[in-house]
Amino acid sequence: MLETSNSKFSACKLRQKVVERFCDAPTQYRHLLRTEKLVEKRALEGKNDLSNMSFALTCVAGFIMSVLFTFMPFLLSMDTFTFSLIGITMSMMMIGFWMIPYFDILLIPVNYPIIAHTPVSSRTYFLVKLTRILTYTVLLLGSLNLMPAIGGIWVHKGEFSLFRLLFPIAYLPIVFMSGFFTIGVMTMFAGYLTKLYSKRTLRNIAQYAQFIFPAFFPVTLILLSRLLPDISKDNLLSSLKWFYALPNGWFAGTVSLALGKIEWHFLILAGLATISTLILVLVPLRSIAKSYAEYLSYLLESGSRQKSKIRVKTPLLAKLFRNRTIRAGLCLSFTYIRRDKHLLRQFFASLGSVIMLVVILNQDQAWVLHSFATGLSPGFSMIFYFVGITIVSSFILPIRYSEHWKASWMLRLAPLSTTHNLWRGVQAAAFLYFVVPCTLLLFCVATISWGTLGILYVLPGLIILLNYVILFPKPVSGLPLAEEFVQSQMAGETLIPFLASLFSIGIFVGIQFVTYLLNIWVYYGFYCVMVVGGLISFIHFLQKSRRIEETVDA
Amino acid sequence: MIQVSHLTKKYGQTTAVDDISFQVQQGEIVGYLGPNGAGKSTTLKMLVGLLQPTSGEISVAGYDSQTELLELKRHIGYVPEEAQLYEHLTLVEHLQLIGRLYHLEERLIAQKITELAQLFDMASQANQRISGFSQGMRQKCIIMSALMHNPDVLFLDEPFTNLDVGTVTLMKALLQRLADLGKTILYCTHILEVAETLCPRIMIINAGKLIADAPVEELRQQTNQTALNEIFTQLTDTTGIDEKTEEAIRIVMEGTPDA
Repeated sequence: MLETSNSKFSACKLRQKVVERFCDAPTQYRHLLRTEKLVEKRALEGKNDLSNMSFALTCVAGFIMSVLFTFMPFLLSMDTFTFSLIGITMSMMMIGFWMIPYFDILLIPVNYPIIAHTPVSSRTYFLVKLTRILTYTVLLLGSLNLMPAIGGIWVHKGEFSLFRLLFPIAYLPIVFMSGFFTIGVMTMFAGYLTKLYSKRTLRNIAQYAQFIFPAFFPVTLILLSRLLPDISKDNLLSSLKWFYALPNGWFAGTVSLALGKIEWHFLILAGLATISTLILVLVPLRSIAKSYAEYLSYLLESGSRQKSKIRVKTPLLAKLFRNRTIRAGLCLSFTYIRRDKHLLRQFFASLGSVIMLVVILNQDQAWVLHSFATGLSPGFSMIFYFVGITIVSSFILPIRYSEHWKASWMLRLAPLSTTHNLWRGVQAAAFLYFVVPCTLLLFCVATISWGTLGILYVLPGLIILLNYVILFPKPVSGLPLAEEFVQSQMAGETLIPFLASLFSIGIFVGIQFVTYLLNIWVYYGFYCVMVVGGLISFIHFLQKSRRIEETVDA
Repeated sequence: MIQVSHLTKKYGQTTAVDDISFQVQQGEIVGYLGPNGAGKSTTLKMLVGLLQPTSGEISVAGYDSQTELLELKRHIGYVPEEAQLYEHLTLVEHLQLIGRLYHLEERLIAQKITELAQLFDMASQANQRISGFSQGMRQKCIIMSALMHNPDVLFLDEPFTNLDVGTVTLMKALLQRLADLGKTILYCTHILEVAETLCPRIMIINAGKLIADAPVEELRQQTNQTALNEIFTQLTDTTGIDEKTEEAIRIVMEGTPDA
């Protein structure tokens, strides 16, 4: 008991020292941080249990992934460096992915006007925001790395048993350092984006550029996959030089060094890890912290006030829908797709994931050949499912949230017997602006490879997407843009349905591949059932939703 | 036109609106006054269907709020206390959204947008995003939305907040003319001067209870006061201003922040 309170005391003291070192007003820092946490906690009050649990569920998902990874040393013979490298890469990648929505804490500080006129320095406010991001990072890092740290004890290639026992003590602090490094790099990137914001013409580029994050890490994976043959041939030392260019390699090298592997390569890698982390904290982050208030003040400025002539027009595609409520939902969604930072960021992050997938798949030539084989192979459909679901989810999941959620009183006040048609407008937007372009793009690719037969490759993907859009659950209120945006809630709520849809598609694709490998005629049969069944299901649900509308109108 | 009977709203143990009843006839403008937190906005939100009453009955334009809420909403216009808007929309897009939600013809929507924007001196900002608007421009935006569909009953909650003098004058004249044309207006405010000039009848709510409901003249006779602010002070028991002022001065002058 005494030990616990002592360790808590020293942890608090350490944090206090760090705060005093980097922050010019520790008292203000403490009060602001406490208030920010309280505000977030209260924003989640009254939401359903799943929303409140969503961050915990994200951690559970991370933990499950890490358990699977922990069993690797039991199945494959690998050395400490390779094991740490894979663990650190996974950790950095997951942190990179999952923390993207949390950077809104830094980039869109909605509460800044409340304290803008008070004597709070730029550095203090920046540190408050960074601490909040780091709190989530620590929790995620813990869930991702606790099990691999224990599993590392059983790595049995080339290490003395005594040093192997020290693996958790060496691995955990270093993997946390790598996580902080990832957040540091992302903050640096986000921080420089905030500087671009002050230049009006670059403003849009800045908000779209975030998709680079998810696309950055595949390069590491690709390089790793190319090096794996060398590693399996006990040729590790000769390939270590490649990792001078890769941050995950630096930290993995530090783990090996800490476990007593005194090699020049590991020394250099450990040196690079330490120096880069120090430089990151001392140079760019300090500079960003200084100019943070400038950026926030810029955000408070109102937009263009140039006078123009009044123009009343309706988007061309909206004219396809005669029902005015559907049209209202469609136009509202369409405007937000183009102008809302949350939606744009989500879309470009998804686009980054898609690019990542394409890059990774292109590395595996055999897989590509297989997927582009003649005889209507299922590989191309799989690409379509992943691309389509990722892109459509980037819209249909976050459209329920908005910074302007309080404006939904207008939708509640309107004489609508049901919000069904407003949500149909959202579905129409998903169809017109996401499903159709995705299908056309992949149809072009399929046509280049298989000519007119390309349509048969695209058809299952299109039907899956149509069903996905029509069956995707409405928000509880039934209204778009009507829920408050809370980072921890949104990250969890977007992740869980996304993983669930990937899981179900995985099963689906699995059946396709099994039938394809068993007998081509069985596969063709499955294909026909899938296409016809999917089409019937879509028409059924479309009719059902029309019936709801008619009943209501009557 | 508006009939309210034994209306009550409770939030847990707190009673925001306590058993109030009143009627407003067609073509009447009624001022609904009360101190902060008295229950004015809560009453209005219940009348327009944004809040569910705990008990009581509401009928607006002949429609019952429990059974015919949809019809009720078709006949009302509402200006809320806070100008919450979809800020990524332009004024035109916002009014188009409202017009469509009320199922107006596209041609009519376009015509009304053009004319209303010109009337409220907003034509040159009509295609700019609301996020760049001043508070006054946002308020104009909300007022235009409330008038788009020619409502029979108008519920106005502090409608003149942030408006310039010219627009306030226009609004006062407009509300008077609308009442002459048979529109019913429930005007909620704590700016007594405006209520005095615009509303022949005044209702005062305090701590959730309706404490006065009479024409201004009758209230003057009842309280032996001439100015509405004096009537209001007497009825809501907001006395002891001098003592409170002195107390406030003492608090303000006490100490200075650390450097």
